[in-house]
Amino acid sequence: MVLLLASIVFPLVSRDTFLIDRVGRYFLFAAFAISVDLIWGYGGMLTFGHAAFFGGGGYLVGMLTTRDAGFLPLPLWPAVVAAVVGVALFALALSYFVFSGRGALRGVEFAVVTLAVAVAAERLTNAGGSVTGGQNGILMTASLRVPGVASFQQGNGFYAFGGLLLVATYVGVKRFLGSRSGLILRGIRENEDRIDGLGYSVPAIKRRSFVLSAAIASLAGAIFYVHEGIVSPGAVGVGASTLVLLWVVLGGRGTLIGPIVGAILLPYLTARLSGSLLDTWLVVVGVILVAVILVLPSGIFGFLDRDRGT
Amino acid sequence: MSVLVIEGLTKSFRGFVAVDDVSLELNAGELRGLIGANGAGKSTLLHLIYGRLQADRGTIRFASTDVTPLVARERARLGMGLVFQVTSVFDDLTIEENLLLGALPKLKGTQSSIDGEEVERVLKLIELSAVRSRRARHLSHGQHRWLEIGMVLLTEPKLLLLDEPTSGMTRAESRRTASLLREMQTAQAAEAMIVVEHNVEFIRLVSDRVTVMHRGRVLADGTVDEVQANREVQASYLGRRH
Repeated sequence: MVLLLASIVFPLVSRDTFLIDRVGRYFLFAAFAISVDLIWGYGGMLTFGHAAFFGGGGYLVGMLTTRDAGFLPLPLWPAVVAAVVGVALFALALSYFVFSGRGALRGVEFAVVTLAVAVAAERLTNAGGSVTGGQNGILMTASLRVPGVASFQQGNGFYAFGGLLLVATYVGVKRFLGSRSGLILRGIRENEDRIDGLGYSVPAIKRRSFVLSAAIASLAGAIFYVHEGIVSPGAVGVGASTLVLLWVVLGGRGTLIGPIVGAILLPYLTARLSGSLLDTWLVVVGVILVAVILVLPSGIFGFLDRDRGT
Repeated sequence: MSVLVIEGLTKSFRGFVAVDDVSLELNAGELRGLIGANGAGKSTLLHLIYGRLQADRGTIRFASTDVTPLVARERARLGMGLVFQVTSVFDDLTIEENLLLGALPKLKGTQSSIDGEEVERVLKLIELSAVRSRRARHLSHGQHRWLEIGMVLLTEPKLLLLDEPTSGMTRAESRRTASLLREMQTAQAAEAMIVVEHNVEFIRLVSDRVTVMHRGRVLADGTVDEVQANREVQASYLGRRH
């Protein structure tokens, strides 16, 4: 509630439009972090490749709105919907491969496959020629606006749009976690075999959560990269996938609110320090991160998860 | 009417025969004790019945269905419930959430919510109503076991399998467990139950009939008094314990 109030008041009192715009970006990072928290924090599925979905949303929107072939280019919003559906279908296909049958993957095996997905996505986008724009990526031509109604491309409009998307993601994921599927997912995190023994279909619940998570990540990514104006191979790679894990760890996984805080705090800290400590900012950020994790191994908001119900 | 019929069940592990040509029949309303020394094959037999292990030979018929080729999840859906020897409740979930996880698999089709009264009834039965919002990790060992029994009860099992339910319990907790099982039997919480135990006195408190296993085979079968009077049983199992 405090965070929500602060978010509403912030653009009213701040005159720094650049900062307002930047916080709007952090809101989209936070929605991305929630998508990772859903499957890692609540489902125990560590992923090293979630940027493939976040950046994938950006790439698909970029291709659908800028390429000229057949029914393309599409207007922005149909392209966003198509990008989310496309990424969700890819996640569904992948989830059948990794979660089904006697060779279903879990733990480190699953993490390695997601890592491979991120590596493959980065290489594919690099080698995609005119389709993906190769190393240069895709320059977006669309902007975040509803013609004749409003523009959300920058400033307060983008801030409000990002904030609403984050609130919708938070509420939606919270509702999912409170549902039958969410309860089973949390049970899977603790003891997958026991859930199976109770008669639940573990692969079905994992698939559902994984696809939902990928869809959220792709929506946040699609909006983010349209706002950025460019999407390049690093967006779908291991680096971006690892960064979101840091946000979740810093804030506290399995708490929903923690990843939001992590996804705002760490990029903000990085931006501030990189401006003032030109050569050493990366080391300083690293030291702060290690110190926080040593003092609070469950993250800043880890206590919410640890002590709830006691 | 038979709830469970086992014929010629055999299971080996790298040449070691853990369960050897076991046949057994369990009738509706029966609470069968399964006793034997360590390594007698009791727990292996229980896990073969539940489908966590697949038999090398033999058949298992449950409620007139041949369940031999089915895996645990499929047998659970048909109405089998297993309370594990090693407690496996969900420590990070609350007691109520643990019970909901037990209750959810039986929901059918359009039914979307749990019958709250049923959860209340089980909470009272296992005497955990007062601490329903606590995380399971804060419970005592005995309470953990009762919670696990409660979870399985909410699946409304036709056949309830309990693997050493009093293991690690204090004497008082064992007595409470015995009365819990008796209450469950009176309330017909399951059509039939099998309880694997080391503790013969506990079995005497809860069981109508006992099967004694020795080296993977059924050694004797009857009431507790009958098997205690059996010379083979005395020589191979009870004699060594008393």
